[in-house]
Amino acid sequence: MTTAHVNGMATAEKYYTQYGLRARELKAQGQRSIGYLSALGPVEVITAAGLIPVRLKGDVSEAITKADAHMETIVCPFVRNVFDAVLKGKYGYLDGIVIPHLCDSTSRTYDTWSYNIDLPYSHFLNVPHVTDDPSVEFFKAILRVFMKSLEKLTGSTVSDDALAAAVKAHNQNRQKMRELYSLRKGNPPLVSGAEMTKVLVAAMSLPVEESTSLIESVIKEVRVKAASQDGKRARIMLVGDQIDDVVVTDIIEKAGAWLVMDDTSIGSKMYWGDVDVTPDPMQGIAERYLRKLPLATTYVDPQKSYDESLEARFGHIRKYADEFKVDGVILFIYKYCDPYGFEVPAMKSFVESSGTPVLYLEDEYSASTVARLKTRIEAFLEIIAQ
Amino acid sequence: MADDKKSRKLATEAATRIPRMVRANTAATLKAKEEGKTVAYTFIVCWMDEIMRAMDIVPAWGESYSGICAAKRESGKFLEKAEAENFSRSLCTYATCNLGFDIWREELGGAMPPDAPWGGMARPDVILGSAQMLCDPRFKWPQATQHYLQDVPVFVGGVYWPPWDPNIDQREVEKYYVKYAVDELREAIRFLEKHTGRKMDWDKLAELVDLVDRTWNLFYETYELRRALPTPMDTGDAMNTMVPLAFMLATQEAYDFYKDLNTELKAKIERKEGVAEEEKYRLLWGAGLPSWFALSDFQYFNSKGAVFPVERTYREAQAIEGLEIPKTNDPLEHIAWRWVKYYTHWFDKARARKGSLPEVERLIEYIENYKIDGVVFHQAFSCRTWHAGIILQAEILKKVYRDIPVLIMEGDIVDISSYNEADTHNRIDAFIETLEAAKAKRN
Repeated sequence: MTTAHVNGMATAEKYYTQYGLRARELKAQGQRSIGYLSALGPVEVITAAGLIPVRLKGDVSEAITKADAHMETIVCPFVRNVFDAVLKGKYGYLDGIVIPHLCDSTSRTYDTWSYNIDLPYSHFLNVPHVTDDPSVEFFKAILRVFMKSLEKLTGSTVSDDALAAAVKAHNQNRQKMRELYSLRKGNPPLVSGAEMTKVLVAAMSLPVEESTSLIESVIKEVRVKAASQDGKRARIMLVGDQIDDVVVTDIIEKAGAWLVMDDTSIGSKMYWGDVDVTPDPMQGIAERYLRKLPLATTYVDPQKSYDESLEARFGHIRKYADEFKVDGVILFIYKYCDPYGFEVPAMKSFVESSGTPVLYLEDEYSASTVARLKTRIEAFLEIIAQ
Repeated sequence: MADDKKSRKLATEAATRIPRMVRANTAATLKAKEEGKTVAYTFIVCWMDEIMRAMDIVPAWGESYSGICAAKRESGKFLEKAEAENFSRSLCTYATCNLGFDIWREELGGAMPPDAPWGGMARPDVILGSAQMLCDPRFKWPQATQHYLQDVPVFVGGVYWPPWDPNIDQREVEKYYVKYAVDELREAIRFLEKHTGRKMDWDKLAELVDLVDRTWNLFYETYELRRALPTPMDTGDAMNTMVPLAFMLATQEAYDFYKDLNTELKAKIERKEGVAEEEKYRLLWGAGLPSWFALSDFQYFNSKGAVFPVERTYREAQAIEGLEIPKTNDPLEHIAWRWVKYYTHWFDKARARKGSLPEVERLIEYIENYKIDGVVFHQAFSCRTWHAGIILQAEILKKVYRDIPVLIMEGDIVDISSYNEADTHNRIDAFIETLEAAKAKRN
């Protein structure tokens, strides 16, 4: 299934602009794909079942026209946009979808998805928010139920060996992506924010081996390409959940800054935590999704002091800010998002207390708001420059 | 927008007692502080009612207090306070109203904010959240509160129920959910023992579990009395009479309240005393929390001859015998089974009717049992929990059952800025016409 990518960046661009193209091509060859919503989609289990995991995304340039008849406008605009895309048949090549329990906007709309989408399979994966030992045990059981439903779909049993192999493949994939991230630490960074976004989006639409191969190709290209001769620019980190388009990145970079790091759910949140190799592979998988993804939907509490709680929740952002020499953080949250919205004061003050300014933006999952975003971001960059 | 609060005329004597009881609940938190008792911020349907009461912990209900602020039209200043701290207006307004109150009280060094309704709510000693499918604020709100009350320890336990899946028999997975919930409830007890210095009285816990079973049965039996023609009580009252079930569960007072309500409803039925002068249309409040600042809208419905003998909202109790709870001597396991079965016991019905949903089966059951003419939903913009999925329920109801008139109203639970009384009444008027037309067609 592996395809060598001669021109990594051009391939990433192709799969970014024609999202799902590879899964469609592979469908013609008899391969089956499962769409998953959010970073909580257990890609190892899908891969082990012989299916291609394709992360669901929307299209910020596309107005929501079909979803409004079925899904309330008080639901997260990202979820509504993806649902709209599914209704419009953009994911018609999939054999089904899995919706993990990320938040209310996913759990309370799952019936709306399963009732309205025209795909042969759908499953709601009840991921707990809490991360203690009983939660891991529970999640293992729920993952097995999910795996059983995939076995029913494919007609094949998933062995522990297949799970272990999938764990290894996805860990390699994450390791390669981290290597690519490291090339952004220099000044100037070797990969622009727009390029990185395109690689991240392309990578989440491919079979894991192809995804890894693509990242390797990009790394090779980037290492030999001449570094930009630009002078000093502000180095920005973007924080949020699924920001899967270059719209915001373009605003930042066209305004003369570099987007050098992210803490988003298609980016570092996905790639920093590996699955530990455990005798029961499901143990390592469950622990990764509950304990290693710094998502606002996960309840982290070390049961110690409040400062330690903040460190457990947001310490990685400060760490990234140091490692990637970040001058400012843009916290970009979608409207109607309770999990991220309730964190804003804590996260903002925690990051700012280490001297890094934070711009908080609440917006739609839509390119239609570019003008107002541009004004806010440019003003923030001016403040940083002073 | 209506600026002046209009009081709602209540149909039952029992409902008129509720404001005093709510006020007493709030005052109890302040008294508890004087007496050195532990006060816990917590949230309804937290599954921990018996645990708190058995350990003599006084619950302080944030949702209740925000509802009071809204009903008294005092929520605006707290919402603004929270907004100034960067809590978006699109977040749950129960939470943001309460956060605004907490932030203000901390700024005042513990004194109550000016004009805090009913003397304010006490600063908690602990916060008991829960992670469920019910709503995200149940674990995000405690975290957000802790940012301002940094010395207050927080516990969040995972208490879930199986999601509806027509292809999976819930009996195959319920055991995972029950085991998980029991483990988490045990963790909650460990947390409370650590922070209160008191040990759980397991005999008392078992007694309270039994009391809750009896309260659920009595509540169910009492509310079923509302099937009568004319109905002796409608949803306008039920938005009050839910208080003992939601905020006083596991207390004798809650049980006694429903005993009194039961007696009162039977007497009203005997006298054929209804809610409207002439009961023309019987409606089901299909889903959604009400606009607490506009409960008088129920009276507007009543003035048009429309009554609500039943509602889905705040009816979080069923007859215990219908839930088929496995026998157990472990009170925590009984609590877990009770809640899991409460949610899953509709699944078989939904599976039996192709294309249906458990929530829709529940609506159909109410429509048939209560002789319903139309369904009203309320969609609050700041709450995804109750208000996402309403369109689907209305759509499936018409598809798998019958073309019954449906009204989806829009507003909020706490934020009055979303409300326009004239528009709301116009929509109700138009719906009444639809009901009349449907009735004429049927006849």
